[in-house]
Amino acid sequence: MQQLDNQEILMKLKSQKQFWDIKKKIKQGFNDQQKIGVNDIQKFAQSCEIEDQLIKLISHILKKSKKRETLKEDQIEFLNTSKIKWTELLFKNLDIVHQKTKNQEEDDTNTDSKLYIYDEKNLLAFLQTFKQQQSNTLYQNVQFQSNKILNINIPLKSSQSILDKYQYLLLQEELSDEKINKIRKQIENEHLDIELEKIAQTFVPNGERCLLYLKYFEFDHQDTVLQQHFAKLQKECLNQLFYDELLEIDGHEISEDTFYFVFQEQILTCLKCFIRDRTIKENIRIQLQSGIKKEHAEFQLPITGFFPFKNISKYVAPLCYLSTKIHIIYALFKEFFCRYFCFLHSISSESNSILSLCMQIEEIVSTRSPKLFHHLKIIGCDTLKLIIHQLVYCFIGDMDPPHILTIYDQIIGHDSLEILVILCVGFLNKYKSKLLLAKNQENVQQIFSELREDRFQELVQYAYKQ
Amino acid sequence: MFELKIFMYNKKLKWKSDFEKSVIIENFLNRGWIKSQEKEDDSTDWNVYWATVWNQIINHFPNHYELTRKDCMVKNLKRFKREQDRETYEQQGWNFDFLPTTYIFPGEYSLFVEEFHRSPNQTWIVKPAARSQGQGIFLLRQIQQLKKISGTTITSNMTQLNLVSKENYVVSKYIDNPLLIGGKKFDLRMYVLVTNYKPLKVWIYNKGFGRFCNEQYTTDVAEIENMFVHLTNVAIQQYSDKYSKKHGGKYSIDALKFYVESAYGTEAFQKMIDDIHNIILTSLKSVQVVIQNDKHCFEMYGYDILLDNNLKPWLIEINASPSLTTTTPVDKNLKLNLINDIYNIVLPNDDFPDNEQKQQQINKIGGFSVLYDESLDLMNRKTQKRQSVKIWK
Repeated sequence: MQQLDNQEILMKLKSQKQFWDIKKKIKQGFNDQQKIGVNDIQKFAQSCEIEDQLIKLISHILKKSKKRETLKEDQIEFLNTSKIKWTELLFKNLDIVHQKTKNQEEDDTNTDSKLYIYDEKNLLAFLQTFKQQQSNTLYQNVQFQSNKILNINIPLKSSQSILDKYQYLLLQEELSDEKINKIRKQIENEHLDIELEKIAQTFVPNGERCLLYLKYFEFDHQDTVLQQHFAKLQKECLNQLFYDELLEIDGHEISEDTFYFVFQEQILTCLKCFIRDRTIKENIRIQLQSGIKKEHAEFQLPITGFFPFKNISKYVAPLCYLSTKIHIIYALFKEFFCRYFCFLHSISSESNSILSLCMQIEEIVSTRSPKLFHHLKIIGCDTLKLIIHQLVYCFIGDMDPPHILTIYDQIIGHDSLEILVILCVGFLNKYKSKLLLAKNQENVQQIFSELREDRFQELVQYAYKQ
Repeated sequence: MFELKIFMYNKKLKWKSDFEKSVIIENFLNRGWIKSQEKEDDSTDWNVYWATVWNQIINHFPNHYELTRKDCMVKNLKRFKREQDRETYEQQGWNFDFLPTTYIFPGEYSLFVEEFHRSPNQTWIVKPAARSQGQGIFLLRQIQQLKKISGTTITSNMTQLNLVSKENYVVSKYIDNPLLIGGKKFDLRMYVLVTNYKPLKVWIYNKGFGRFCNEQYTTDVAEIENMFVHLTNVAIQQYSDKYSKKHGGKYSIDALKFYVESAYGTEAFQKMIDDIHNIILTSLKSVQVVIQNDKHCFEMYGYDILLDNNLKPWLIEINASPSLTTTTPVDKNLKLNLINDIYNIVLPNDDFPDNEQKQQQINKIGGFSVLYDESLDLMNRKTQKRQSVKIWK
């Protein structure tokens, strides 16, 4: 971790617009005074919250100076060995997929649609294979319940703390035009990520969302750099990779979606650039595959360090609404993936990981809706199997784009994917009465195949109903 | 011929009337017509029926073509513009800058030729005045292409054009800088309900869709005849290899609205909406004096609007019978609710409202909101216009 000395902090402060605003304010406060002592400045600063603003600004600089290392090793050893096994499995799947594509080239009538390396069901099935580990004295507070499908001792936040954290969403009211205009001005003037997070937690006007995201990721003055980086990647796309074919196949589903079909070409372009982007490996917060090199293998891992998976297109799609510039869409997608969505595909005990999120959902549903939990088990339709698609793909395809981007706002707002736990619980509660009448898996599939409209606020309300 | 005359003289037409007005009955008797003996209301034993329409409504105004035929629409808009003085229409907040330069053939052929030569790089779009679904439409870059509709070679000294089919054509400047999403051209289909022309009452529906082309847009002259690039009609795009039955190339207005606001900002979005509302109101005002208003009539129009890459909307045409064919489940849901909401407005609680009831101030029913109600006083109208954007939120 890089430590900054006072001189460096001062230099960084001087590069921030807020620093100069604060300085101007202090100067204006002491207009005509000839002699100004340190105590005078301190009193003045405290009286008009300048001290507070300065502290936030310095914290922001210190936070930004810490370079986040990519998590490669988990604190729990068996998860590290599991990650290796998962990677080996994916290499095998890659060989099978490659063989299938060869067969398809030879035989047009054989259109097997399972041309992907893994999907969310494969991931969940793999997680289910973890055996219960020996109890570790550090994690004895986690109770083992045999009726849950994920039987692992990992540190888990209490589900009540997650429910409490997002309870404020129940009180959100429609804002007046005046308040919305105030938020707009705030976004235009704000630079501190802590303040941007607060805005994202409450309400983000549609017209200012892109700006908020760009500021949060510190891209707001980087247009030329982003454009050049993207242009370079586009040139590299001229050399075809095997994975391009998988991405094209993956794009078929999004090309049928009524909300995203218009962005089909942009999505594919972004993904082709993504799998060629060398900077992802150093920016991604968690290593997804173990990075082993297979001897004599026809294909290695893409340069990103992980395999593209089924429905990867979905993560790009909602961001296409935010800008007409593809390099901006790409930059936002890359950042969202590297900071957040990567955890949804990681074998890890981190709080944002798919494992932790799944266990939280099971915990909440089994304790707050035990009847539903057990009924689903009896009819062979476990809670997690029902919700895994919505969880892994952040409800993209289930909710309209404005609601999806509200989810993205909350992810930024809390620097966490836990909002997905709330929404998944709410989703199950919403369809509880129908699910309780279902007698088998076919009945359950029928419930979800009917035309439905799930909304963010609605699912939050349902999450807190018992 | 003589036998025919005797036949015609001896032919006794049967009449029926809902009410016994002497001026009507005497006319029938003088003509030697016979009263139909069938008493039942639903009897069809008549040739002439003088009906009352106390409890009947119909979904068209008698001469809606003044608005919905392309040549009549252009003629009325031009007339209306000439009639307004600048001060009036600026005060009302109207503007007329939404119709591409258009000429009606054959009458305005010579004017077109002058303009054509003034703008040699301009592409034009030629459309039959009274047809639909993209039939007969083509893009024009060379005047010789008019041979398609004249049947004869076009020469530079021709001052008039004789059309083979005797139907009128409209020729407009082609908007060659449309707003593209995903590189493809689209237009908007929006639904507008008029329940009264005098005074004018207009409802706008909050659902509609963008109709997308299946091919990437290009101004390349080599692709000028590729209708899959240029014409958004579903009737044309459904024949493209890339046509999807799942979404039918239809992108919801809600999604489009969200995209414009998110990608271009709230201010740009609001201006676009205001401009669209201006198109609807100005076009309806332009035919207000010519349309035969009738309390038994209402009409639902399908407005086709094209956005250019500055988010400026242009009026393409207005349809009196917008397609009610449903191509996808979402489409079916939209049109089902559309018709349902129309009847909730025109027949509230299955009652036939009188004029006064029609003017009652209910501003929103189902997906429809009042866009314009002339019966309100001027002050209220100005407030209504400012609030028009909220209809879409």
